[in-house]
Amino acid sequence: MEPNHRNASITTPLVILMLSVPCLTSCGSTKETPKTPAAVVAPVGTPVEIQTPLGLPPVPIPPGNKPTADTIALGKKLYYDTKLSADDTISCASCHGPAHGFTDGLPVSTGVGGKLGGRSAPTVLNAAYSPVQFWDGRAGSLEDQAGGPVANPVEMNMPHEVVVKKLNADAEYPKLFEKAFGPGPVTLEKVQMAIASFERTVIAGNSPFDRYQFGGDKKALSAAAIRGLGLFKDPAKGNCVKCHTIEEKYALFSDGKFHNLGVGMNAEGELSDLGRYTQTKVEADKGAFRTPTLRNIAQTGPYMHDGSAKTLRRVVDFYVGGGNSNPQLDKDIKKLELSGREREDLVAFLESLTGEVPKEVLP
Amino acid sequence: MKTLAMAALAIALAACSSAPKPAAEAPKADKAPVAKPDYFKVDASTAGSVHGKIQFRGKKPARKKIDVSEDPMCAKMHAAGLFDESLVVNPNGTLANVFIYVKSGLEGKTFEPPKEPVVLDQKGCGFSPRVIGIQTGQPLNVSNSDPVTHNIHPMAQINRAWNQSQDPGTEPLKRRFVQREVMIKVKCNIHSWMRAWIGAVEHPYFAVTGANGAFELPDLPPGDYTIEAWHEVYGVQEQKITVKASSKEEIAFTFKGE
Ligand code: HEC
Ligand code: HEC
Repeated sequence: MEPNHRNASITTPLVILMLSVPCLTSCGSTKETPKTPAAVVAPVGTPVEIQTPLGLPPVPIPPGNKPTADTIALGKKLYYDTKLSADDTISCASCHGPAHGFTDGLPVSTGVGGKLGGRSAPTVLNAAYSPVQFWDGRAGSLEDQAGGPVANPVEMNMPHEVVVKKLNADAEYPKLFEKAFGPGPVTLEKVQMAIASFERTVIAGNSPFDRYQFGGDKKALSAAAIRGLGLFKDPAKGNCVKCHTIEEKYALFSDGKFHNLGVGMNAEGELSDLGRYTQTKVEADKGAFRTPTLRNIAQTGPYMHDGSAKTLRRVVDFYVGGGNSNPQLDKDIKKLELSGREREDLVAFLESLTGEVPKEVLP
Repeated sequence: MKTLAMAALAIALAACSSAPKPAAEAPKADKAPVAKPDYFKVDASTAGSVHGKIQFRGKKPARKKIDVSEDPMCAKMHAAGLFDESLVVNPNGTLANVFIYVKSGLEGKTFEPPKEPVVLDQKGCGFSPRVIGIQTGQPLNVSNSDPVTHNIHPMAQINRAWNQSQDPGTEPLKRRFVQREVMIKVKCNIHSWMRAWIGAVEHPYFAVTGANGAFELPDLPPGDYTIEAWHEVYGVQEQKITVKASSKEEIAFTFKGE
């Protein structure tokens, strides 16, 4: 047994239990084993349409899990409920909480131990739009959590049992699950479907930038932010849109692809986390991480997959310097010619991306 | 029972996460070679030395002010202005920041690299010191004492060039050079005015002049040597010298300004 595993078992079983949900996605998404056509689990209520704010496209919805008022409400309850942890101390919101823009405000999530390689918790805001989940994309859609067969049943049976047993024995949950999914016991699949449906409502748009760009309100942005937007788009200046995309009618600020910026190099100049490479084993993917959204970025510091950049100014300076050189550095990362004022303008623009979070998703 | 279940769960999940592994598997570049070479031992009973001064002739140029408005934090540190230090003439008429080293005469001898690092600090939005010498294989520690992010970029031509971002309050970067290179120009990718120079040689016989313009290359085995002096603005000069057993040789270099 490797030391960090032992460590995890002693000090962080609760956290690890919490992580079982997103974690399962990684292991459960293996496509090799055909799915045994057990009874198809589906929400029983009338699907609701998720209203999207200015600047966001319609939320992608998987056909098998159309959100209903009941699944969303159940997912929300689960999301904020510390009962999902073995000793009732931790919920999803502990690491993806509204107080920090649906992150934990920490450089790397505590309690995860060596297990997650010391990565920073990404925001759950607008995660519904990501084609793949996690910094290294090791999970498919949020829906993947609903679990195809688990690659290694010996490894994965435990979390099923622990989470599910507890919820089945709960005074409230069985009723809520029946309301949402029809008769039958609580299953992990239902847990994950409900949480995923809730997560699809955790979206933020209608920021000052959206009102300026898509709403025709030319006063919505400060002069500095408008200059910053220009630099953000200018291929000869910031060239940020190359990866943090802005479309004609909406903006997700992510191409959903993986890039190596050289973030997370140790003192000796070696990559401490191989990122996408851990999934693909493709040399060029070493140190590449999924482009994160920049929506509500002012609330989600510290930044980067390892939480190494404390402020947005530090992030901008990192780009101005051309990142950290390494053999897999993305070809679009190079030293930028930006004056002091231009660097500040970029920060002002990033700060204009804070949008409204629907009240219904708050605890 | 509960503890047991939890422990088992933790193990299961730890295994499941297919989490990123630390880059232990990544090949380690620029690491000391496996077999320890036969290092040359200087015989103290016969070793000599070369010492001298770097003189400057000509008009002492006026100091040039640098525009640091690129970074308001840097400007704040230098309310009275930051001045270009590419040419520092000492009050005694000598030149500082001259790199002097044994250019030839030590062929065939391998010298053990020192373990103690050479430190290059980023301070007051400048490099300190401006000129450093280092033995190949010796650790270079790059620290950041500033409240701003720097991105150090040694623009090596023979060694591997690299650049790395360094936020305030982060641990020093630790690097090495593997081949002789005189000199490696160093810049900061974020603050265009920042400049340093690194002279990397495969032996310990190098020096950089300071406020008195003097240098000394001690513990030299007897032999015929070419000594080179390098200055950022005035380029290189060389002289030949023979060091006899236990002799102290003196040489002088003179760089001429306008
Ligand atoms: C101990 C802190 C912690 C807890 C508790 C936690 N997460 Fe996470 N979460 C993380 C970290 C760290 C990552 C990033 C891991 C990676 O990319 O390797 C992450 C990633 C995610 C992602 C992917 C987002 C993206 O943009 O890639 C989603 C979605 C997510 N978590 C949802 C949840 C849900 C739902 C729960 C509750 C069942 C939960 N998390 C509980 C720390 C936590
Ligand atoms: C080559 C693609 C690419 C370009 C160009 C690019 N980014 Fe990024 N950006 C990324 C990736 C990938 C990450 C995550 C890197 C990591 O953590 O390893 C990131 C991270 C960030 C973050 C931190 C996000 C968070 O949640 O931690 C900010 C802020 C950011 N970029 C802003 C910018 C700005 C401003 C520019 C233009 C100056 C820019 N980016 C240009 C790909 C890019």
